[in-house]
Amino acid sequence: MDPSISPTQTSRRSSLYRRHSQLGAEFHRFGEAIAVHHYASDEATQAQSLGLADLSTLPRVGFKGAGTPAWAEQCGVHLPHQPNWASEQPDGTLVARLSSSELLMIGDYSGHSPLIDRLAAADRPERVYPLPRADSHSWLALCGSHAADTLAKVCAVDLRPQHFENGQIAQTSLAKINAIILRSDIGNLTNYAIFSDSSSVEYLWDSLLDAMAEHRGSPVGLEALANNR
Amino acid sequence: MKILTCPLNGPRNMSEFTYGGEYHPTPDHADASAREWAEHVFFHHNTAGVVTEWWCHNASSYWFLAERNTLTDEVLRTFDCDQVYNQRIDFPAVTTPEARK
Repeated sequence: MDPSISPTQTSRRSSLYRRHSQLGAEFHRFGEAIAVHHYASDEATQAQSLGLADLSTLPRVGFKGAGTPAWAEQCGVHLPHQPNWASEQPDGTLVARLSSSELLMIGDYSGHSPLIDRLAAADRPERVYPLPRADSHSWLALCGSHAADTLAKVCAVDLRPQHFENGQIAQTSLAKINAIILRSDIGNLTNYAIFSDSSSVEYLWDSLLDAMAEHRGSPVGLEALANNR
Repeated sequence: MKILTCPLNGPRNMSEFTYGGEYHPTPDHADASAREWAEHVFFHHNTAGVVTEWWCHNASSYWFLAERNTLTDEVLRTFDCDQVYNQRIDFPAVTTPEARK
């Protein structure tokens, strides 16, 4: 973390960077990307209660097509056995199976994913098509003991931890826009990764913060999530 | 709100779905007449009774088929379209002079 880094100094920044700057964020740089390190001094406690983080600049990629599952397994990916579940790989990358022939791969909070780098550079056989999920979709993380209560205000699917297991995925409507919701707990911290159209992220960010206000939720940076691992 | 059961995602509010029209078996593209193609693309049977329809779950862009009774609006079942489309159909490049214009 370097307090002197500004989002406009890097080529890859979130659409929300102006909001982050207004909130007094300090940023962390990894390669050509930048993400919020923290806003306030003690965000670990806030994350335990209710926090929202913008992870849109972290690595992720998608692949789809009839040849995708076999190709991914050849490349050493441990696939979830059924759609709408995710499994963690040895390097920390999460592989989400969105249908029988579509995968979404999500890096961990370090900003590096050896598996994603390897698959993005690998030769692909016929009927395997890459999807630029890092560009098409934003990535927000809603965490804490009140996260499910917040989601219940804007989503019709029951996402409470007792009904929606860690690793489970719901592709549904969230605050009236399409979203992929993946429960990916961080240690004991309940956490929902939310992927939606990147062009709608400012609306979704504001809507979630509005829904969080009742439970005294606020934005948190990467540091708060990493400290809970 | 009405609930429709997506074969991939399970029960969801009807507002998450888009109607895609009646399902008709695709004519054999190698020897279908212009009339057959026109009927396939543009004409609907508009049956009063059980019909098979295309539906799309918007959040996952997933197309599937549903059997619905248009008189009672009861959905009898929904199923993955690979039960109907279970082999790849390749369309060869058109080579007639008319098609090149």
